[in-house]
Amino acid sequence: MSAAAGTQARTGRRRAGWRHALGYRVLGWVGLAVALGLWQLLSVLLHKTIFPTFSGSIAVVGELLTGKVLTEDILPSVFRALAGFAISAVLGIVVGLTLGYIRWLGDYCSAVLDFLRSVPSPLLVPLALLVMGLGAKMVIAVIVSAAVWPVLLNAFDAARRIEPLYLDTARICGLRGFGLFRRILLPATLPAIFAGLRVALSVSLAVLVVAEILGASSGIGFFIQNAQQTFAVPQTYAGVIIFACLGWLFDTLFLFLERRLLAWERALAGGMRV
Amino acid sequence: MAGVAVAIGIWAALTSGGIVKTANLPTVGAVVTGVAGSWHSLLSGLTGTLESWAIGLCVAAVAGAALGLFVGLSRLAEASTEVIVRMMRPLPSLALIPVAILIAGLGVTMTAGLVAFAAFWPVFINSRYAIHQIEPRLLDTGRALGLRRWGLIRRVVLPAAAPAMATGLRISVGLAVVVTVSVELVAGTGGLGGYVLVAEQSGNIGQMYAGVIAGGILGWALNSLSLIVTRRLIPWEQAAAERAR
Repeated sequence: MSAAAGTQARTGRRRAGWRHALGYRVLGWVGLAVALGLWQLLSVLLHKTIFPTFSGSIAVVGELLTGKVLTEDILPSVFRALAGFAISAVLGIVVGLTLGYIRWLGDYCSAVLDFLRSVPSPLLVPLALLVMGLGAKMVIAVIVSAAVWPVLLNAFDAARRIEPLYLDTARICGLRGFGLFRRILLPATLPAIFAGLRVALSVSLAVLVVAEILGASSGIGFFIQNAQQTFAVPQTYAGVIIFACLGWLFDTLFLFLERRLLAWERALAGGMRV
Repeated sequence: MAGVAVAIGIWAALTSGGIVKTANLPTVGAVVTGVAGSWHSLLSGLTGTLESWAIGLCVAAVAGAALGLFVGLSRLAEASTEVIVRMMRPLPSLALIPVAILIAGLGVTMTAGLVAFAAFWPVFINSRYAIHQIEPRLLDTGRALGLRRWGLIRRVVLPAAAPAMATGLRISVGLAVVVTVSVELVAGTGGLGGYVLVAEQSGNIGQMYAGVIAGGILGWALNSLSLIVTRRLIPWEQAAAERAR
């Protein structure tokens, strides 16, 4: 379909109203069903050993979620990801805002920051293993080394681009130090920080898996890796499915929270644009 | 750049002053001798990483741009892929490493394939998004000037969507480096990740740090390069970014 037809469809949608919108929504789920059907069909046709059926994988997911894998691997992983995310958030916000607000310091550090954030964080896993040994502490440290950057850089940029009028007004009113941080700097940069936090959340999960594959004796990454190495193929797929659902769940929860917490911002931004 | 010198100075002071154990953080000298002693393996590791990176990224860029344009232009295609895309996007590709090893074994095919899968999504999603952001006025003008389907796509849609597509590509560049190195670490298939693994197993901490620093420089160089290239190829990108702000 061409762009012209696309525009026609758009105007058509306006006329036909909700019935069209509903049709397109249903189509999305039909697409998903077709993809899953293809998976099922392919795995039945191909050799099953490395490519288990969709229904088989889902059955294993159910087994895992009711068994001891839930408490021994999945929950510890959730805890590690959230701990790493929380540390990254605090660290990123504080350091990012400080460097963004104190202009000369930010200029001074920018080359070092540029380099540090370019380091592919999985490379740090062997180092972290050496320094901290096997376990949750190492995993959390590696998560922080990756997830801190989106938050830090967004806070940094937002603090630099803050409306000078706000800062001047605050200074005239006698705000400084922590008061300035809490009353002006943080609220003004919060929308950008939240955008960074959302990226950081998905980065946390991604790095969690690599760190657990390389150096943990429990956790969902360890489970997936272990299943692959013992050729427990359906378990491998089930682990990945569980992990994908976890990522989707985290993202959905985060968006929900953001909408709650930043409701004031949308109203404000809308009002200012008039 | 002065900041870098100060950072190295602080590092040297910390290690030679005995504040940090050199078993955890080696001296600057130890890292330099580590690089000098393993120059060849470091270089071949870098080229190995670059190879998988480049193959994966090329596949991702072409497939992502083409499919993104197609899905962006066709409401039918968009609606029927909507749910799949929403579910696939947050799927961390790094969790797929074990599955990729199961399916494709060890080797460049597996690494590049996984890199391509991971790097596909930013390009695809940004291309799709870019099409939606095109001002209808531009399309109408093109049509009024007598452009038909392909002419319209080539002369109006592509140039208008290019800046956002370039942004997606730049995200993919960094992501592809991370995925490449991760696969090398997990699967032990050489490259920079393999270099660090060997250093770890032989207990050479200077070389481990050398590998990490090389990874940082590689990532930084590729990011800067992609910025320069996209700026050169799409000179109107800057203006578009400023308008959007």
